[in-house]
This record gives sequence, C-alpha cells and structure tokens, in this order.
Amino acid sequence: MGLFSPWFLGGLFAVGLPVWLHLLKRSKEDPQLFPSLMFFEHRETSSVMHRRIDYLLLFLLRAAMLILLALLFAHPFIRQSSAAQRGDRLTVVAVDRSFSMRTKEGSSTRLDLAKEEAQKVLAGVPTGTKAQVVALSGILEAMTQQISDPNELRAAIAAVKEGDSRADFGVLARYLRTLREQADIPLEVHLISDLQKSAQPAGFADLRLDDGTKLVLHPIGKAAPNWSVESVNAPARLYDPKTVRINATIAGFNAPAATRNVSLILNGKTVGSKQVMVDANGRGSVEFVGLEATYGYNKCEIKIDSTDSLAADDRYVFSVERTDPKKVLFIDDGRHPKSQKFFAAALTSDPDSEFSVDVLRPEVAANANYSNYTLAVLSEPSNMPAPLTAALQRYVEQGGGLMVAVGVDSVALSKVPVMDVPIQGTKLATRSGERFWSIGDFDQNHQVLKNLDHMNGVKFYQSVTLGTDKANVLARLSDGSPLVLERRVGEGFVLAYAASFDERQNDLPYKPIYVPFVQDAVKYLGGGGVNQPVNVQVDSAVELRAGVQNQGVSAEVLDPDGNRVLSLEESASAPSAMLTKEGFYDVKTAAGRRLLVATHADRRESDLTVMEPETQELWSSTGGSVDTGKNPAKAGVNADSTPWSLAPYILVLLLLVALAESVIANRYLRSSIHTEETIKA
Amino acid sequence: MIQRFLDPAVLAGISSLDLVAKTVVDGFISGLHESPDFGFSQEFAEYRQYVPGDDLRHVDWNVYARTDRTYLKRFKGETNTLLTILLDTSKSMKYGSGKMEKLEYAKFLAASLVYLAHLQRDATGIVVFDEDVRNFVPPSSRQGQMMRLMHTIDAAVPGESSRTDFTKPFSHVVDFLRKRSMVVAISDFWEDPETVIKAVGPIRARGSELVLFHVLDPQEIVPKIKGSALYEDLETGARLQVSSSYAQREYKDKMEAHLEGIKTKATSAGIDYFLCDTSKPLDASLRKYLAIRTGRL
Repeated sequence: MGLFSPWFLGGLFAVGLPVWLHLLKRSKEDPQLFPSLMFFEHRETSSVMHRRIDYLLLFLLRAAMLILLALLFAHPFIRQSSAAQRGDRLTVVAVDRSFSMRTKEGSSTRLDLAKEEAQKVLAGVPTGTKAQVVALSGILEAMTQQISDPNELRAAIAAVKEGDSRADFGVLARYLRTLREQADIPLEVHLISDLQKSAQPAGFADLRLDDGTKLVLHPIGKAAPNWSVESVNAPARLYDPKTVRINATIAGFNAPAATRNVSLILNGKTVGSKQVMVDANGRGSVEFVGLEATYGYNKCEIKIDSTDSLAADDRYVFSVERTDPKKVLFIDDGRHPKSQKFFAAALTSDPDSEFSVDVLRPEVAANANYSNYTLAVLSEPSNMPAPLTAALQRYVEQGGGLMVAVGVDSVALSKVPVMDVPIQGTKLATRSGERFWSIGDFDQNHQVLKNLDHMNGVKFYQSVTLGTDKANVLARLSDGSPLVLERRVGEGFVLAYAASFDERQNDLPYKPIYVPFVQDAVKYLGGGGVNQPVNVQVDSAVELRAGVQNQGVSAEVLDPDGNRVLSLEESASAPSAMLTKEGFYDVKTAAGRRLLVATHADRRESDLTVMEPETQELWSSTGGSVDTGKNPAKAGVNADSTPWSLAPYILVLLLLVALAESVIANRYLRSSIHTEETIKA
Repeated sequence: MIQRFLDPAVLAGISSLDLVAKTVVDGFISGLHESPDFGFSQEFAEYRQYVPGDDLRHVDWNVYARTDRTYLKRFKGETNTLLTILLDTSKSMKYGSGKMEKLEYAKFLAASLVYLAHLQRDATGIVVFDEDVRNFVPPSSRQGQMMRLMHTIDAAVPGESSRTDFTKPFSHVVDFLRKRSMVVAISDFWEDPETVIKAVGPIRARGSELVLFHVLDPQEIVPKIKGSALYEDLETGARLQVSSSYAQREYKDKMEAHLEGIKTKATSAGIDYFLCDTSKPLDASLRKYLAIRTGRL
C-alpha cells in the first residue's frame, strides 16, 4: 500500500466541515421563536458543550465523502507482483529491410544475413514465450501478432523482403514505447540491422525506451566505401530537346577519390556518357546538354559504373515529359483591342518563350479544341455564351488553367465565369475622395506575384468589386477591394484579375512589372493543373483526386514491376497512393491525367557509416534491464512490482456515498418542511 | 363569528354557572349580581339609626311611630355590573407551541366572558392593548353591544413592533372608571410582578374588582429543549443560545418564582389571579374561575 500524493491527505482536515455543520451551523440557522427571554441567560460555552450531532447518518456520510475525496487525491496504490516476477516477457525481433540492407556482404546481402541472425535469435527464445516479428523501413511493418508458434515466426522472418525505404530507428523506438505501455509486459527486443548512423532520428530523446524494455543490437555488416548518384537536376518538361541541361551529382561515402563513368540512359538506351572526378568522401558533378526525348513521358536514368557493395544506388531514375510550346487561348470580343495587344506583347517579349497566343471570339471559342491549349484567358467578358462557360468549366476541372480579366464591361455579368464569385460593381477612386489607389495587402510569396516588387508605383483609378467568399485573395487595393483572386476548381486553377489588360483602369501596362505579371500568371496556370512532382523519393505520395471530387471514378497506379498498387476499392476512393519502390510508376489520376513518376531511394541510405558504439550502448541502456524470469529476485525495483491504483474503486465508492448522502439529506429536508407546514397549519 | 368564539360546548358548561361578582357596585337592575351598596331593592338588609345628614326619604316612619326613634330602612341592592375586559395583543401573545396560540386562547376567554355578561344584561366593554391602547369599546348594555365586542375581539391582532406596556392601558381604564366595576385583564404578564401590580393597583384602589387571567403556553412554563436551541425573543428580536439543562432547572425555578410573585402580590392587593394553561380546555378554566368566585361569595 502506498500513496502517490500523500500531501493530499491534508484534505482530511476538511472533515471538520461536517462537524461544524452538524454541531454549530444548524442551531444557528434555525432560531426558535419564544415570547420572552427575560429568564434566560447567555451561556454559550455550556450550550455548545451540550450540543449533539444531529442527523448522525447524514454526518457520517458527509464525513466519509470528504475522507474518500482526500484519499482519491492522495492516489493510493497497492504493489502487486509484476509480469517479470511471473517470468512473462515478449520478445520482439526487428529486422531492418531498408535500402542499405541490399549491400552485398560476400555472396549474400545484408538482409539475408539479418534474416539468418533473426532465425538464430528465435531459436534461443524459450518455448511458449510470446514473440513478434517486425520489419523496419520507413514504416514499421508487423509481420506477425504476438504469438508463441515458432514455425509461424520463422516463416515471417523468411517473408521479409528488401525494401527501398530509409530506416528510422525513431519509428522503432516509438512502436516499442507504445507496445510496452499497452502490453504491460517486459520486452526483449532484438534489432538486427546494419545500424546506419543516418537512421538515427534528429534527437536522441526519440530513441528513448521505457523501463522494462531490453534492447539487444545485432549489427550486420560494417562501414564500407560507397559511391552513389546523389541527385539529378533535370526539367520535368522539355520543349526544346537540344537546349535542355541535365546535371548529376556523384557522391562518395567513406570512399577514396576516384574517377567514375557517368551514363545518361534514355528509355533504356545510353545516349551520353562522361567521366567525373569524385573527391575522397566528397562529390563531383557532371552535366549533359540535349536530350532527344520522344513526345510524352520518357524514362531517364543516370548511372555510374561502380564496384562498391551497394549497387542499387549507382543509378538514379527520373522522368521527363516532352511537349510542344504551349498555346494560350485568348478569348476576346474585340471591343478593346489594346487588351490583346498588351497581353500578347508581354507574353511573347521573351524570345525563348514557350507560349504562343491564339485569339478567338467568344462565340467561336465554345467549339475550340481545348486539349490544344495549356491555358485559356478571358479578356473582360461581358457576354458569356452557355456553351463557352460549360467548355471552360470542363477544361478547368480536368486540369486546365483559366485567367479572367474582370474589367468594367464584365459588370454585365453576375459572376466571374468558372470561378463563381459574384461581381458586385465598379468603384472610381475619384468618387472616394482619392486620386487613385495603390496596392494594399499583397502575397509576396505566391508564384504569380513574387516578381512584382509589391506593385510599387502602380496607380489604380477604377476597380471592379468581387466577392471573396469562395476564392483566395492574393492582392488587394489600398481600399480593401480584391485585385487578384485564385480558386481551385477540380484539378485546375482560375485566376481572376479585377481589371482589364489595357490601361483604362490603371497604369500597370505601362510599368515594367506588367511583363513578369503576365508571364508568371501564364506559367503558373499553364503548368497543366496541380503541379505534381514527377521525380520524388521513395515513400512519397502521389495525389489521385482533389478532395471529394471524382469519387467513384477509378484511378490507377502501376508500380515499377507492373503490379497494381491500389485495390479495387482504393482505386475508386483513395485520395493518394504511396510510392514505396524505386523505379517508374505509371499513374492515372481520377481526372484522367497520366503521369510517369520516377522514385529514387533516399540517398542518406548510401552512407553506410555505422552508429558509434557509445551511442549503441547508450540506446540499449535506456530501457533498463529485464529479468528473464530465471532469477526473479535479481529483477530491478521498477520491474519487480507494478503499482495497482485504487483510485477507480475509491471513485466508485465516492459516487455511491454521494448518492446515499443526497437521498438521506433529501429525506431529512422533506420531513423538516413537513413539520414546518404542520406547525403553520 | 359568534360561533367561532362561543363554541356551544364551551358555552354549555359556562351557562350552568352563575357569574357572581364579589363586590356589588352601583347596580340598578336586580339580578344576579349583588350590589355592594345598599339602595332601593325588594330584599331587606338591616336597620340603622338615623344620623344627621342621612336622606330623610329612607327613614322608616312606621318604626318611628311605634318606637319614637328614627331608623333608616336598608335593602340589599341588586344591580347590573360594569364589566371591562383588558385584552393584551402584544407580540408575545402570538406564541403557541401547540395548535393554539396564546392570543387565540385569550380571545376565546374574552368572548366567553362577554357572552356570559350579555346573558346577565351586564354593561360590558373592552380595551385592546399592547404597548398602547389599540381599541376601546366603552361598557354598555345596549342592544348590539355584544356584536360590537365580538367584532373588536375578532379584529384584535398583534402589531409589528408591539410590546407589552401595562401603564398606558390601565391608566386609560382608570380614567373612564367613574363607577365601581369589574375589570378582567387577560395577558401573559411578561413583566416584573411589581410593575404589573403597580400598574393595576389604581383600579383596585377605586374599589373596582380586578381579575387577572395569566395566559401561558406550557412550553413557557417548562421549555422542553432537545440538546440546545437558539431562541429568538418575539418582541425584541434578541437571540440567545439555550441549553436543555438550563431550561430544565434554572429557567423553571425562575418561572415558578415569577408566577408565585404575581400571585402573591395580586392576592395581597385584593386582586384575583388565575393562571390559564393554553393546553387546558377553555371551559374548564372558566368553570374553575366561576366556581371559585361563587364560593367566595
């Protein structure tokens, strides 16, 4: 028996409260009327001496309530024999299957050696003792439940396969802490791993193990020199195959200086080869110019010739999409020809511009083939034919971009097309008592606005007021009116500019920043919808559908081996898919877009440096010692006994006493009222 | 209302007794009350020798003719009595530990006396008082007097801050008592006996008959307290913590001394004193009182 918070026993003094209530308080609260006190004398002491406790049962209940309350805060507990004393324990065998476990050690890989070691560990587990096999990579995968069947455990170890993820010992430690808390049984953990230094979490505290967890480390392999393709910098899309540049960085870990042959492989065919000098424990870079890729997605790869033990990181895959220069559809009714002139001049001012402009009237644009255009621009629409609205809506939802210049003429419309925010009217600065407005709130970090120098010096004379309930406001005028708004519709974006492209409402077209404004807006919207990266690390996710849209429409993901990643149910509802292997994933989103996503292993796995012995020892000691059950007397204090809290039982008792007190007090109260009424009657 | 005060059961017991006054005052109507004065009446009392100054109309000339001596012939005078009831309505009279408050008891007693007096055609009046005179109906035997008195008794309620003061009401009674009469005071007499007797003394000094009905609740005589209790004075509002042992011993002794003091001083002053316990039936109290008075006569 013990108390977690013995100081709370001071609350027992509160028992004096019911004593006071029953001895003193009551008599003072109920004076009895008497005709005259001329024969009475004031004898307080003798009166109190003769007072007795009224309502004895009620008093006892109230005193019991306070005593129980004080006990509850004191948190009493009883020590009971622990699972360790009973000899119970759970053996956890953790096998590292991260990318680095592909390293060759002789004729076997590190994973093969780890599995052999795991089998040996299992052989040493006493019969009947529960054990669990887990596989460690980016996530922790439980290969079995907590079972004592040795055959099933051995089969689980044999089923552990090589992975491409990065190991994280913090994940293992977190799992063990949770397991220790839930199982309430000592753990004996065998970690069979190459114990890479890079697998340590940022803080050592994340490796902490709870008391009663014994960690046994089984190092596999040792530090070895290794070269790898650390990174590749290549455009995701290329328009001109001759001018594209591809940079690759080759890194050496624990390796001497060496010269490596670097090859660029396009769709399985080597299209270029160079040599690079890699410093000792350093890096070297190489650049390839030109890539004769075919239209569409291309599987590319940078490969080095290396004789190190980890061959898997000698290649780096990446995906490149080749497309034609993009066309921008400029929809204009021709009433303000300067708008088209200003916009086209700004967009094509760069000789290397990847965009060209096609101009169509609204009535013709409804029947245009939008798949030819990377972006549509509505210039000051004043009349929107229904087919055009429907075509633009469909286009944006499938990933297209739309830019709308909401000029003064657009007030004829009630809402901004596709964006669906209301057009509330126009305002003149001069009627507000000002000559002009300047820019107010401004999202400097947004891709469209980041090069505009806060639009300093631009004078706005007239603005169109738009509603902001559905859209994000990127910029406002000094009077608070929204100037640039953005809204995601389906997989595409709509950008609204609350002015015309010409100089009628402001002097922006005369400013140099007009050019980057138009170009950045077109680049942003013309990226083909949500800019999903196509070159990512293993364990990244690819988005399959935006929010709840396209629920029920099938999406598909094929892994590098050509297997489906998603089940039938997941393909109809999953918002994203996890990419866990190195290679090329064929992805078809729910909106119908096709992607070729290249995944590469985390290059921190290439550094085969092992954790320092001191760190290993420190980590092993955080969980304390665990008695094996053979000699319970030697078990530590913490593992010896477990405090068994009495608080829940006291709480239940307190509730019962409180209930009884309410009933008894109510009964006394009723009888008192009844007596008073009788006297009055 | 009459039915309320004059309960038939009570009146049945009282009607069988005679209300006989001890002292006959200025009575005119021959009846049940015997006048203390000699006067014109049918019943002979005595002869007395004439002394100068006597009214010659009372001389018995027949005796003078036979004996040549002048004697005055005297008769027993039977007359109606003036009855004045003093009813205390101080706040202390509102106390009652049982079903009946002291004031209620006092009202029944007063009403019974009024009714008895009415049967005997006595002129009856009432003074309702606490620390001052609250209501006053002069004695009269006119028709409707009984109803007026009954209304007055019924309307008597204790005031908010009323306390007992015997000086004013009794001096008021003394003012209008031009004839010898009978005065009945009904009160709980929570006052020093000396003060009470001093206040009522002038009435007796004028030759009027004075009767004190001391109305007390049994709880006042011997308080029964369980453990201790906080008592609040009905008149002053003062509070005091009281223990049962004190009430059982010291209070009881003081109360007995108080009752004995009033009784002794009243008797020595020629005042009739009766203690009325509100737990006892009203008719029993009246019967006892009337029996005693009859016996004294």
